[in-house]
Amino acid sequence: MKKILLLSLLAFSSLFAQVKEDVEVPYISYEIKMGKGFDAVQANCLMCHSFGYIINQGPQSKEFWAKKTDKMITHFKAPMTKEDINTVIEYLFEHYGNGKLK
Amino acid sequence: MQRREFFKTSIVASAAILGTNLSAGQTHQPKDGQKMSKMAFPEKRPMITYSDRPPLLESPRSVFAKGITSNDDFFVRWHLPDIPTKIDLESFTIKIDGLVDQVLNITLKELKNDFEQVEVTAVLQCGGNSRSAFTPIAGGIQWGSGAMGCAKWKGVRLSDLLNRAGLKKDAEWIGFNGLEKAAYYETPNFVRELELTELDDHVIVAYEMNGEDLPYLNGFPLRLVLPGYYSDSWVKMLSNITVTNKYKSLFFMDTAYRVPDNETESETPDHKFKKTKPITFMNVKSIIGYPENGMKLYHNAHIVIRGVAFDDGHGIRQVMISTDEGKTWNEALLKQENGRYAFTEFRFTYKPTKYGKVSIMAKAINRLGKEQPLSKDILWNHGGYKYNGIDVVKVEVV
Repeated sequence: MKKILLLSLLAFSSLFAQVKEDVEVPYISYEIKMGKGFDAVQANCLMCHSFGYIINQGPQSKEFWAKKTDKMITHFKAPMTKEDINTVIEYLFEHYGNGKLK
Repeated sequence: MQRREFFKTSIVASAAILGTNLSAGQTHQPKDGQKMSKMAFPEKRPMITYSDRPPLLESPRSVFAKGITSNDDFFVRWHLPDIPTKIDLESFTIKIDGLVDQVLNITLKELKNDFEQVEVTAVLQCGGNSRSAFTPIAGGIQWGSGAMGCAKWKGVRLSDLLNRAGLKKDAEWIGFNGLEKAAYYETPNFVRELELTELDDHVIVAYEMNGEDLPYLNGFPLRLVLPGYYSDSWVKMLSNITVTNKYKSLFFMDTAYRVPDNETESETPDHKFKKTKPITFMNVKSIIGYPENGMKLYHNAHIVIRGVAFDDGHGIRQVMISTDEGKTWNEALLKQENGRYAFTEFRFTYKPTKYGKVSIMAKAINRLGKEQPLSKDILWNHGGYKYNGIDVVKVEVV
């Protein structure tokens, strides 16, 4: 009986996934700078992506961050208020900016 | 000074001024030696980790001393935050619909039993691999050189699936959609479209990678494999193939993963080129896997320099190595046993005879005679795509 069980297991083994349970993607806490506007960043950006995604773009111009924010709204449909849009851009440029407007 | 010589000098002088003009955009060696995360992701070893949601993981340089990239080391790049955490293999199907005679819902078991099983070894590389080489910094994740890998992919031919469904006469475009989802209902899905004429028998729908189930983060249970193409079209967790007669305008096709549509595929930061085209085929590239930047080599030791080279499937003809800042080049030995879409392994025995700092450079040349440029000669583009500069590793001989 044991043998039969083993055989049938083998026969169907190709249908078992390597991971049979839910996978869990770890949470990584990225060090993000605190400052004016952080709440708006947390409320709007974190819905879709980690802080890592922001930090790892490298230091960028104000225009770059404005365009990225616009991309999130236009293409990815992030529901942001006008006030939050400006707050987020100011925050990103202040903490992850390269000092250049363009 | 003679008049002619004066002209010559002034031309050189003005070229020098132009050369230092930052507004042209500059290119250099990409980032290297980034910190590895202490946290391992499912079915992965700890990797260079840019984001956990969506997961963005890069392989370290040492991985490229070998021609096949192991599943645990293979890079990961998703676009949307919500990846299903479990796939039920009993109920999972891939649906083929649209302009077909018969809509199909194929289970994994049927896929493995009812179609010819085929295998292809192919390089998977992100279009933005090595993006950190560009200044001003191009938008997007600042990848080093490890957003790539090469694996043996096993599955069934896309053409066999399409033939089983039966294509209608006006079928022209094929859309591919996977199971990753956005946080907002309105966000577009990560759908890719390919023209029917672009697809040949090398395109497969794969369920196996290097003899194992696809790792979850590499697209379990099924992904599209498009040898020669950048990875943006290798849709992961592939669940739907839709045949249409016209191109649908989609964000991930029309806006992302595009380069300037001119001969050099370049532009300047101040004057971006309006017309763009998809990044499609990979250019010729090579990476040194060993030694690595900052290593100390023993004087007169016999060092085996190892690495990988590849292109879009024309095949690698030569890999040249220089240890004298590019003054002289010598041919490396090649190992090509996995076909033209795979990594070509190269090795070169090097005996450092002088003390001090040495730059080891590798340059691949493909069968069309296309060769890698020096990194400084690569022209800028806004997305930081398709970097393929000659790799340089700096070591010290002691």
